[in-house]
Amino acid sequence: MWFDILPSFWEGTKITIELTLFSAVIAFFLAFAAGFGRLSKFRAVRLLAATYVEVFRGTSLFVQLFWIYFALPLFGIMLPKMVAGVLALSLNAGAYGSEIVRSTLISVPKGQSEAAIALNMTPWQRTRLVILPQALVMMLPAFGNLIIELLKGTALVSLITLSDLTFVATVLNSSIMRPTEIFSVLLIIYFVISLPFTKGIQWIEHRLSAGRY
Amino acid sequence: MSVPLKLIYNEDPTKNIGSEVRKNIVRPIVTYNNISKSYGDLQVLKNIDLEIAPGEKVALIGPSGSGKTTLARLLMTLEEPTSGTIEVEGEMLWHQRVNDKLIKANEKHLHQVRGNIGMVFQHFNLFPHMTILRNVMEAPRNVLGLSKDEAKERAVKMLEQVGLSSKIDAYPAQLSGGQKQRVAIARALVMRPKVMLFDEPTSALDPELVGEVLEVIKAIASEGEMAMLLITHEMDFAKDVADRILFFDQGKIIEQGPPKKIFNNPESERLQTFLSRFNRH
Ligand SMILES: Nc1ncnc2c1ncn2[C@@H]1O[C@H](COP(=O)(O)OP(=O)(O)O)[C@@H](O)[C@H]1O
Ligand SMILES: [Mg+2]
Repeated sequence: MWFDILPSFWEGTKITIELTLFSAVIAFFLAFAAGFGRLSKFRAVRLLAATYVEVFRGTSLFVQLFWIYFALPLFGIMLPKMVAGVLALSLNAGAYGSEIVRSTLISVPKGQSEAAIALNMTPWQRTRLVILPQALVMMLPAFGNLIIELLKGTALVSLITLSDLTFVATVLNSSIMRPTEIFSVLLIIYFVISLPFTKGIQWIEHRLSAGRY
Repeated sequence: MSVPLKLIYNEDPTKNIGSEVRKNIVRPIVTYNNISKSYGDLQVLKNIDLEIAPGEKVALIGPSGSGKTTLARLLMTLEEPTSGTIEVEGEMLWHQRVNDKLIKANEKHLHQVRGNIGMVFQHFNLFPHMTILRNVMEAPRNVLGLSKDEAKERAVKMLEQVGLSSKIDAYPAQLSGGQKQRVAIARALVMRPKVMLFDEPTSALDPELVGEVLEVIKAIASEGEMAMLLITHEMDFAKDVADRILFFDQGKIIEQGPPKKIFNNPESERLQTFLSRFNRH
């Protein structure tokens, strides 16, 4: 039966979850930094943020991963597989995330910041008290999708022989040749990992918007 | 930045007058000096000169598109003048003086002068993610630096004054338009501005809700010490509340005077035409 192969997946599952969690946290910070950066009043900051976002959205995660793992060592930077994987995943997701941050920030109606100005709030108070809380609620569903994309993207790290779920599955398959069972189990595990993320985001979304609209 | 010379030196226009006389001259709380505003090729305000005395209630009437909102937004620092200067209590709003030269004001300077002004918007602009109480106490707490208890006490008093103490824990979405506008009035008043701007506060309301908002504004006006600039299409209200009416058309003050004169003896043809539209029904 298929569950005799289950234990072999355990280590890979741990790696995949770790990759997703670490990358999600870093991507979240990058998304805010670059999202706010693109709206900065300083041209240099806007340019820097825009360059980062365009480079990482304009090239594939696959290429970014290979570049970080195989090309950086030529410049003397050798990264452990796990670090290279997290770096590529978070830089990539952070670039997409920054677009979510930027677009929701500017979609808060202009009357809101005007009311905040009329109350003589400082620019930072306007952002913190008025704009950001409203933008956050709008960001959540998109961030939920982004984390799921990130989780799916982790499969690519098997290409730099990091022993995540997908890597374990392909290795296992080449030794015991039971593709139907192995890849069915793989599919189910990915789905099960995604569930808490999806549900968690829905829960936060519900909490944040309670009673308001 | 070209500023007419006279403006640079008019810091104390009464300087050469004997002190007895000077005491009786009230310094305006707001002065527009030769203010113009353009959006691209469209000149919305044309060389406006206007003084508002402390505590004075000025109603601004005129056809839509004539620049009334823009005039108020310049004073609220939501829009920058193309030329001219605005003073609040003798202090430049959009400019600051560095080594005897006028330069564009920075955010710090704006922050300091803007504290004298408050505004109520046509579309309320309440903060939808905050309860009514938080809408009103957030600025006293964060901008005026009051303690949480002080800010709350002030906010609750203000909400009582506009008749909404029972809605303290509701969110804006749960209120009627009239109630929302009363909250917005409380939110502006709680900051105790010296000048309050009302930009068509009842235009977005269903007709049956207009009265409750006008009543609140009248009550505030009768308290006296705060100057008010009221942009409105409610002529009876303007007649009741205002010390002075300004008729605005195509970016200019066409005619001004006490309500009686403006409504009973309008001089300019444009004002006569404008008023006839209101008298028909
Ligand atoms: N941000 C803007 N950009 C371009 N044109 C504007 C802007 N704001 C106002 N206007 C124009 O300025 C004119 C005066 O507008 P406004 O001050 O709102 O008039 P009122 O309040 O008397 O109806 C209108 O023609 C309007 O279209
Ligand atoms: Mg208007």
